[in-house]
Amino acid sequence: MLAYTFKRLLALIPTLLAASVLIFLFVHLIPGDPAAILLGDTATPEEIAELTHAMGLDRSLITQYFLWLGNVLQGDFGTSIFFRIPVLSVIADGAETSILLASMTMIWIMLIGIPIGILAATRHGSWVDQIASGGAMLFASIPTFWLGLYLILIFAVGLGWFPSSGFPSISDEGGLWNIRYLLLPSLTLAAPNAALIIRLVRASMLDVQREDHVRTARAKGLHPTKVAIRHVFRNAMISVAAAFGFTFAALISEAVVTETVFSLPGIGRLVVQSILRRDYPVIQGVILVIVCLYMIINLLVDLTYARLDPRVSLK
Amino acid sequence: MYRFGSYLLVTSLCLTMLGCSSDDLNVTKGSDANSNTTTTATSLTDEDLYKPILLPFDAPPLAELDAKVTWVDQPVWNPYEILKDKLDETEPLTEVKTALSLRNDYPISKVNNEKIKSALGRGPISNKQVDYEATLTRRVGGDAKTTNPIMVSSTTDFDVSSLINMELFGFDWNMTPFANSEYVKSWQTSESLLYEKITLRNDIYWEDGTQVTAHDVVFSFQTILNPEIPIPATRTGTDLIRWIEAYDDFTIIIFHPEASPVNIWNINFPVIAKHIYEKTIPDDKSLKSSDAHRELEKNPLESGPYRLIDRSFDQELVFERREEYYMVNGKQVRDKPYFKKIRLRIMKDPNTAIIALKSGEIEEMEITAEHWNTQANDDDFYKLNTKATATEWVSFHFCWNCKSKFFQDLKVRQAMGFAFDHEELLDKMFKGLYAPSNGPFHPKAWMAPKNPPPFLKQDLDKAEDLLDEAGWGDSNFDGVRDKMINGKRVDFEFNVLCSQSPTSKRVSTLLKESLDQIGIICHVKTLEFTVLQQYNLDGNFDATFGGWGTGTDPYLTENIFGTGKKRNYGKYSSAKVDQLYKQGLAEFDKEKRAAIYGDIHQTLYADQPYTWLFYRNSFYGFNKRLRGYYFSPRGPYNYNPGFYSVWAAASE
Repeated sequence: MLAYTFKRLLALIPTLLAASVLIFLFVHLIPGDPAAILLGDTATPEEIAELTHAMGLDRSLITQYFLWLGNVLQGDFGTSIFFRIPVLSVIADGAETSILLASMTMIWIMLIGIPIGILAATRHGSWVDQIASGGAMLFASIPTFWLGLYLILIFAVGLGWFPSSGFPSISDEGGLWNIRYLLLPSLTLAAPNAALIIRLVRASMLDVQREDHVRTARAKGLHPTKVAIRHVFRNAMISVAAAFGFTFAALISEAVVTETVFSLPGIGRLVVQSILRRDYPVIQGVILVIVCLYMIINLLVDLTYARLDPRVSLK
Repeated sequence: MYRFGSYLLVTSLCLTMLGCSSDDLNVTKGSDANSNTTTTATSLTDEDLYKPILLPFDAPPLAELDAKVTWVDQPVWNPYEILKDKLDETEPLTEVKTALSLRNDYPISKVNNEKIKSALGRGPISNKQVDYEATLTRRVGGDAKTTNPIMVSSTTDFDVSSLINMELFGFDWNMTPFANSEYVKSWQTSESLLYEKITLRNDIYWEDGTQVTAHDVVFSFQTILNPEIPIPATRTGTDLIRWIEAYDDFTIIIFHPEASPVNIWNINFPVIAKHIYEKTIPDDKSLKSSDAHRELEKNPLESGPYRLIDRSFDQELVFERREEYYMVNGKQVRDKPYFKKIRLRIMKDPNTAIIALKSGEIEEMEITAEHWNTQANDDDFYKLNTKATATEWVSFHFCWNCKSKFFQDLKVRQAMGFAFDHEELLDKMFKGLYAPSNGPFHPKAWMAPKNPPPFLKQDLDKAEDLLDEAGWGDSNFDGVRDKMINGKRVDFEFNVLCSQSPTSKRVSTLLKESLDQIGIICHVKTLEFTVLQQYNLDGNFDATFGGWGTGTDPYLTENIFGTGKKRNYGKYSSAKVDQLYKQGLAEFDKEKRAAIYGDIHQTLYADQPYTWLFYRNSFYGFNKRLRGYYFSPRGPYNYNPGFYSVWAAASE
C-alpha cells in the first residue's frame, strides 16, 4: 500500500503541472484589467500602464507563468493584488471556515443520510421507505439559497436561537462556541447532500440484499439488524465511500451560494470574489489548492476501497 | 520519446525552481491580455512611464506673501455644531417615542417619513442622552482594498478612511466647503484667489504619539503627485495645485496656478505620516509590496477619531474610539466620538443583510428599493428598526454612443426618449419611489436651470416621426426599421449593455419592450460590472445603462460631457457645452455660475446624449436606538458631519 500511495503521489506532479497551465491560461483570458480595476475609472492609460508594469502583467504570458510556477514550487503563491497579503494567508483564512463547515456538514450527512438510507432499504416498499425517498427527493430539489434564507428567517430572526450570518474564527473571542455560527449553514448544505446519500445508501443496500451471502446469513438465523449492518451495509458502503469523498471536496470548494447567503468567508466565495476583482494570484492559488485537494481525496477514496473490500488490490 | 519528454519535464522544473526572469528567456513579444493587439512587452522603461507631475517651484517667503496679499477669512466650522444649529431652526414634527412607533409608508404618504427624520435625526440635547459605550454594527457591501487614505477608490475604502484619518476640509449638506475646526485653526484665501493659508491646530497626534504637522501635509501632497505611485483617484484634482509650502510646523500656503471658483475642491486631499512613509516609500513605490507597507495596511497609523483593531478579510473590520483624538494632556480638546466601537460587517448579499438587520445583528444598512416595500415593511422589521429615505442626487440614464451608426443622429436619440415608457418605469416598476430626471442637475440643486425642461413622457407617434425624419423607415416591410448606410441596408438592431443587477436588467428590458412597439430590435446584454466598465471606457457599445452621482461642484460633470473626456463614454461633443464649461470655471459669481450650468443642462437636454430616467432615493434602515441621521443630497453620510452625527440613545 505504501508503494501504491507513493506512486499515486508522484503521479500528482504531471497532473498538477497540466492543471497549473490550464488555470493560468483561463485566468488570464478573463476580460478586465486588474490594474484598471484597482485604479478605478479615473485612471489614465499611462497610469494603468505604470501599474501593469509594476505588477509584471505586461510581460508575456509564458514569462509570467514560469515566474509564477517557479515561486509556487518554492512555496510562494504570490501576493493578493486586492488584499496585499500572501495568497496562502488569504487561502488559510478561507480554509478555516470551509473545512469546519464541510466537516460539520459531513457529520449531519452521516447522521441523517446513513440511518435513513438504511431504514429505507430495510423497510423497502413500506410507508417508511416512501417517506424517506420522497423526503430525499424534496430536499434534493430545494435550492440552497431558498432553504438557507428560510432557516435564517425561522431560527435566527423568528426564534433568535442562532446567529444569521458571519463566522468569527474559533481563535477569536468565543472560541469553539463560535461553531454555532455554522449550524444553520451546515444544515443548509447537508439537506441536498444527505438526500443524495439516502438514495445512494438505499440503492446500494437493495443491490447487496439480493446477494447470496446475505441470503445465507439470514438462513443461518442471524438477527435482521446484524444482517443489515454487518453484511448488507458494510458491503454497500464500498460504493458510497466515493460519494463521501467527493462530497467533502465539493463542500469545501463549491459552497459559494451558502457562503454568500450566510456571509461566510469561505473558499467558494473567495474564488468568486477574486474573479470579480481580477485578483489573479488568489484565483490561481485557490484553484490549484482545490485541484490538489480533489486529487488527494481521490487517492484516499481508493485507499478506503482497499480497506473496505479485501478483494480490491492496489497496483 | 518518453525519455525525451522526461528530460524536458525535469529541465523545465529546474528552470522554474531557479526563478528564471524574462531576460533569461529572451522574450521579445507579448500581448496585452485586454486588447486584441500585440505589443512589445519588454521595451518600457521607468523614464518612458514616469513623467513628473509636480514641477519645481520657488515659494516666496511668508513675510513677502503677507505683505503683498490681502487675506480673506474662510469658514472654519465644527461640523457637529453647524448641523445642530441648522436643526435647531425648526421644531421636531413629532416626539421621539411617536416617531419610533410610526411605520414609514413612503411614497404612499410622505408624512411619516418626514416625522421620523425630523424627530430621530437630531443631535443629543445633553451628553447624558448618549450611550458612549455603545458599539455600532454597520453593513458594507464589499471589503476595503486598503487602509491607506491616499490609495482609496471604493466606497468601503472611503468609509474606513473617514473613520481613521483626519480630514482637514469638508462640505455641508448644501455642498458648502469649510475647514474642519477639529483640525484647522484658521483658513484664509487671498483676494486674488491664488493662495490659501491654512494654520493647523497644534494638538493633533498620530497613533504613535508623533504630532501631526504641516510637513505631513506637504509630504502627502508630494507623494500623491509622485508619478511612480499608482493613486489616480486621489491625484485627480490634487494635480491642479501648483505647490504647497510649509512655512513652519503648522502653517501651510497652497499655491494655485490660476484663480478659479473650484480651487477649493482641489485642496481636500488625505494626509499620511511623513515620519513613517518617507522611509518606506523609496523601497516600495507601489505602497503594497514591502513588508513595511503590508504591516501598515494591517496596522495603519491613525490620526482620526478611530483606530482599526481587528480585521477579518471579507468579513468585518472593527474600529475603536481613540482617546488620544479628543483628549490631549488630560484635557478634552475635541468632541468625543459617539461610539466606543464600530464594526463594519461585510455582507455582499442584500437579502442576508436585511435579515441581519431584522434580527439585530446589524443596526444600520442601506436598503434596496425592492426591500423597502417588502422585507422592510413587516412586523419583524419594525420590532427593532425604523427606516427613512430622501432623494439622492444620483441619476440613471441610457447613454447613447454618438459615434454609433444608430445614435449619431440627434433625431434618433430624441426618438429614444419619446419611445421609452417613463410612466411604467416610475409608477409601476419603482412604485413611485423614484423621481424623474431630465438632466445632469437635480431640480433642487443650485445649478439646475430656473426654467427646467419638461420631463419626457412616452409618445410613440412622435418617436416614429423623428425616426422617419432621420431616414429609419421600413423599406422591406418586415416590421423592423432600416436605413441605407454606405450602400448597405442596415436593420435598426442594437445591444444595450447593463450590469447584472436586477434593476439594471429590468430597466433595460423595459427599453427593449418600448422599442419593440416602433420597429426597433433591442437586445439586453448583461455584463459583469468590470467588463461593462471596460466596454464603456473603450466606447465599445451602442447603448449602455448607467448612473452618475452629483459631485460637490457641477464643473465635475465636464469629465462626463466634455469633448474627449475620460468618462464621456458616448463620445458626445458640443462646442457650446465645452465653452460653457470653460466659462463656468472662470466665473466667480454663484448666480452667474448657476446660469451657465443651467444652460449646460438645457443644451444637454436638447442634445440627448443620454435619455435621463430617474433620481434614486437613498433608503436606510436604522435600529431604533440610533439617532442623529440627517440626509443630504448625497445620502446620510457623504457630507460633514455625515456619519459622525449618528449616536445611540442611552437606555431610559
